[in-house]
Order: sequence, then structure tokens, then C-alpha cells
Amino acid sequence: MSHTVLVVEDDLDIRQALIDILEDHGFTAVGAPDGAHAMQFLLGAPELPCVILLDLMMPVMDGAAFRQAQRSDPRLAAIPVVVLSAYRDVDRHADGLDAVSILRKPPSVRELVNVLRTHC
Amino acid sequence: MVIVRVPSSNIHVRMTSSPSDTASPSHPEPSEPVGPRSVEERFRALVSSVKDYAIFMLDPSGNIETWNAGAERTKGYQAEEIIGQHMSRFYTPEDLARGLPGKLLAEALREGRVESEGWRVRKDGTRFWADVVITALVDERGVLMGFAKVTRDLTERLRAQEEQLRLAHAEEAVRLRDEFLSIAAHELRTPLSAVQLQLQSLLEQANGLDPRIRSKVERACRGGERLVTLVDTLMDVSRITSGSFNLRLSQFDLTAAVLEVVDRFREHALRASSVVTVRSEGVLEGRWDRLRIEQVVTNLLVNALKYAAGTPVDFVLSGSESEVTLTMSDGGPGIPESDWDRIFRRFERAASMRSFGGLGLGLYVARQIVEAHGGDIRLLRPQPKGAHFMIRLPRSPPDGAAR
Repeated sequence: MSHTVLVVEDDLDIRQALIDILEDHGFTAVGAPDGAHAMQFLLGAPELPCVILLDLMMPVMDGAAFRQAQRSDPRLAAIPVVVLSAYRDVDRHADGLDAVSILRKPPSVRELVNVLRTHC
Repeated sequence: MVIVRVPSSNIHVRMTSSPSDTASPSHPEPSEPVGPRSVEERFRALVSSVKDYAIFMLDPSGNIETWNAGAERTKGYQAEEIIGQHMSRFYTPEDLARGLPGKLLAEALREGRVESEGWRVRKDGTRFWADVVITALVDERGVLMGFAKVTRDLTERLRAQEEQLRLAHAEEAVRLRDEFLSIAAHELRTPLSAVQLQLQSLLEQANGLDPRIRSKVERACRGGERLVTLVDTLMDVSRITSGSFNLRLSQFDLTAAVLEVVDRFREHALRASSVVTVRSEGVLEGRWDRLRIEQVVTNLLVNALKYAAGTPVDFVLSGSESEVTLTMSDGGPGIPESDWDRIFRRFERAASMRSFGGLGLGLYVARQIVEAHGGDIRLLRPQPKGAHFMIRLPRSPPDGAAR
């Protein structure tokens, strides 16, 4: 199984911090600034990531639209998604996205790493 | 009462001058059915007694010729004082200025009938919203005999519609405000998250930081955590005070929720040198708003770790068929009984502002949430010392608590 985490997050600072943290903990991390870039990456990737860390509110293609696109592609549908959002009621916003885990920003590093480890 | 001025020749809608006049020359077709009262008489009585509609006749130039109970009720005039007056008397000065009465009569003449809605004026000067139908009455040769005017007072209906519209606008305003708050909270949290993650990643440095730098970063990290919480609290208070505080109910186990919050605050408790324990009868299920209930537990716990740092904090949960009870006790200085009422109000606290930060909103928010669930939160007498809070929550909130 690959150890690559795809980090889909529009905020550059958060995306970079997440990538740094994940790499510090032994993951390989790839960033995408929105759902469309993430789909583009997935469609061209020779090896699929073990988990996708997905923000919800993003320009171009938001988290929900990305999830819809991902689930409609049989090759990509099975990749587990962990939602990471700044929404106060993130559970409600992530409703119906079938995420394996839902985290609120900012997550504690311990929590984030533990959740991702269960999938990679 | 019907007072009628009869046009000289035969009209399609016939009215006679009074019920006793049935044999007068103005009633040229005596072929009406016999009986105690003719159809015409009964019809006249019907029109006369209708109270919900003003039904009256106008001569060809618009002067009032008949008057019924509904007209009296709607417009406030007695028959004696209005018969012979021009119908323009019922119109507002604005409508008179634009010649509306004449225009309506002209259109009724041209089209056969005209319908309009608008403000009309009663005898006492008050206005009512009228639905008016004016029908031109012509004889067999096509000569205008006058007009029949039926007016309905729709003020109540208009008010109801306006009220409905006002409510819809108000609901929309609340919805937009909530949406704004949600986005504002999200936007405030995003850069804070970036700061928090960077700081956390600094602390994670494998080689170890200079202890002095580490403690500075830790302090920055805690400042960030407090900012994050404050943003949430402010948004919640704004929602609570504006009354748009809706519960999203789901079935869950309160014990699990409390354990989760306590786990989330493990590091915080460690820093406060407090041991937090949870004792429960087991699974305590109910229908509540999980996010809000976790917030109540969080607010109590944060207070205990702040004001009673270094002392044990105990949560005890128990349940009956209809409700569950959650108590939280700490071993801190406690809260003087004189402050028990005050501390649940907004921006209030028992401790001095100088020694402890915060907005003084935690217990206020907690109480609003618990009460929205149909429960209550109160303080128990210290035993032997510390603060002892007791929350009682019905297993399912009363109707209307959630939307």
C-alpha cells in the first residue's frame, strides 16, 4: 500500500503546514489547491494515494463536488476520505460525503496522524 | 333597509322603492311567482342583508342610489346620509387627483365591468383595502341605466399577507445573518488554523528545540487555541441573543460524548495539573444536539481547569427513564452563593477579570443550550468545597426545540 496522502486544501499556509507535518511523520504528501486539481492529479497518478485529506470550502471545485467526481470514477471511488474543515458544524457540512473521519480545523497533530495512520 | 331610487324605465336588474311597493307601476311584470313574497322581494332582502359585501347601485353619472347592510358596515355611512352622493366620496385624495372614479366608470361602460383593488376611505376617514367590481347596467336598447357596485373589505387579508411577507423577510434576514456568521467564523478560523499547524509542527521538531524557544512556541500555541475558542463562543452568543439558535437533534450516548470531550482536553488538563475522571452508569442515550452538548461539557471543563487548576475534576452521569443527570465537581475555590444567579448571565463571572481572561460567556452559553433542550443547569451546595454543577437533560427535548 502507498503511503501517499493527497492534501486537498485551498489555503496555501495550511496546505504546506499539513504537508510538512505529514512528511515529518513518515508519510509522503501531495498537495492540491482545489477539487479540480485533485481530480487531475488522481487521474494521472500511476499510484493512488492511500487516503485523501479533504477541505470542504474551496474555490473552483469544493469538497462535496470533488467527492461526487471521485465516487463516480470506479478507479478512485474506494480511496478513503478524511474531511478537514473549519466549519463550526462540520458534521452537518460533511453529511452525505461518506467520509471515514471528520476533523475540525485546526486538528491536533496527534489526532490527525492517528486518523491517517489507520488508512496508510 | 333598502332605499331605492328607481330609474324610469325597465331595467334588467330591478329594484323597487320599498318592500311595500310591489304593486307600483315601476314593477311592470307581475308574472313573478305568487306567494308570500316574490322572488324579486326575496332577492332584494338578500342583497339588503348581506353584510360581507357592500352592494349598491349608482346612477349613470356615479351617484349612489341604493345601500345595503354590508355597505353600511364597510364604509360607515347610513343610507340616509349617502344616497344621492357621488361614489368618489369613497376614494382617497391621491386617487381623486388622478381621476380614478371617472376612469373606473368609463372602463366599466366600455368593457361591461371593471375590477380594481385599492385603498378606500370610510366615513370616519380611516382607510380600508377594497376589492371593487363595477358592472355597467344597460337596458335592452343598450342605454346605460347606471352601475352595480360590489365592494369587499380585504384589509384583514391584506394585513395577513403583509404579515406573512414580513415574516418571510425576517426569516430570510436571519438565514442570511446565520450564513454570514458561519462564513465569518470559517474565515476567522482558517488563518488561525494555519498558525496553529505551523506552531504544532515546530513543537514536533525531532531534534528538540531550545527549551526557552519551546516554551515560547507552546505559549503561542495556547494563545492560538484560546483565539479559536473565542471565535466559536462569539458566534454562538450572537446566534443565541438573536434567537436563531436551532438544535440539530440526533440520538447519541451522553457518556461517550463526555468521554470524548475529556479526551480532547487531556493535554490541557495535564498543563493544569488536574486529573479529570468520568463516572457513569453506562450508556445514557437521548436525543440532543451533540455539538451543543459537547460545548456545554467543554465550557464547564474549561472553567474548572481555569479556576480550579491543580484539583481533581469529576464528572458523574446517571439516568432515569425520562432524563439524564450530569454533575461536574472540582476542588477549587468554589463560587460564593451570592454569585450563583449572576454567573449564568452574559459577560459575568465570579472571579475578577484581572486574574482570569475570557469573555464571561461560557456559563451563559451553557445555560442557553441546556434550557433550549428543556433541561436546567444549577449549582449545588459545596461539599465540602469547590464548584458543583448539576445539569438535568430530558432524554428528548420538548416539541419545538429543534427545527
